[in-house]
Amino acid sequence: MEPLILGLGWLGLYAPLGLAAIGSSVGCMRAGSAACGALLEVESGYGRFIGVAALPSSITIYGIVVTMSLRRELTLENSPGIFGLGVLTGLALLYCAIAQGDACTASINASKSKQEVFGISIAPAALIEGFAVFAFVFALVLAADIPK
Amino acid sequence: MAEQYITLVTSLPYLPPFEKAERSPITRLRLEQRLHMLEPDDARQLVIAEALVSWRMSLSKPKSDQEMLLRCRAALQDISHPALREFVEFRLDQQTILAALRQRKHLNESSFLEQVNGGSRWARVISSNWDSPDFKLAAVYPWIPQARTYIEANDAGALDRLMMGIIWEQLSRIADSNRFGFEAVFAFVLKWDILQAWLARDAGKAKSRFQELIKEVTNVS
Repeated sequence: MEPLILGLGWLGLYAPLGLAAIGSSVGCMRAGSAACGALLEVESGYGRFIGVAALPSSITIYGIVVTMSLRRELTLENSPGIFGLGVLTGLALLYCAIAQGDACTASINASKSKQEVFGISIAPAALIEGFAVFAFVFALVLAADIPK
Repeated sequence: MAEQYITLVTSLPYLPPFEKAERSPITRLRLEQRLHMLEPDDARQLVIAEALVSWRMSLSKPKSDQEMLLRCRAALQDISHPALREFVEFRLDQQTILAALRQRKHLNESSFLEQVNGGSRWARVISSNWDSPDFKLAAVYPWIPQARTYIEANDAGALDRLMMGIIWEQLSRIADSNRFGFEAVFAFVLKWDILQAWLARDAGKAKSRFQELIKEVTNVS
């Protein structure tokens, strides 16, 4: 039982980073595919499409910070807490990154034909970033309560 | 969500409503180049569907309605994508109803079922309700009364506009169901075809083409 609990602790420790990286990859892949399509259609302003396609990558940074904040010597007392906090934060970041990729895809598709909507079309992606920030900040707050 | 379809959809330009368009936003050549991103099976199905339901049908001239229907049925067997198949059936039904309205006006024959049997799910209903103004199908197809009015008034232009509008809306709905998938791609291609047909409308050319057809028919008989 003891190795299992410690194993779950390790899983929780790396989950925020691992899951956030997976989500960011999927999000960037989708938004990047959209940006490549838009590059074929527009004559200028390529940089901003690539910039929007890179937005989901920020979520991996939150994953890195949460994993660093959870890092400590794993014991039977702190492993369950690290597992719960790490896995749920990781799942939240994973979904946020994928959803943000889809929002960026839609933004690129809309703004390639109507450049004046570029700013406002990123708003949904920014909102999703906000949800990722909530998950990130509260993970940091709660990590402080897990025994060292 | 297949990534190459995201690229394909975002590489296609915005299509303005056909009635407001002044020019086509993309040439056929460039569209074909972009369509190379389609999966081979999707591309094959799109070619078959285009031949069947594009505004200017590209199938070779059939000898009879029955032959035409047989060809349509055979082609339909090769379309397995649910949304594309549903749209093709929708268009074939639409064409069947228009053919029935025209036949009733010009020939007043009720042999419609014999001619199109198996060609449309509504053939039997149309035949059974031949004397009803809208074949009792207006609840399913609300555009029938309007189309009937245009056919009776010999207003082909207004009928075209009505049918194009209905198909355009249907394709927009299909595209909205999967904005970055095959649905959005085939909806774009078929809407582009409508746009081309609308922009190519020319009363003078239509008249000369009509006269050519009259000559052709006169020479055959």
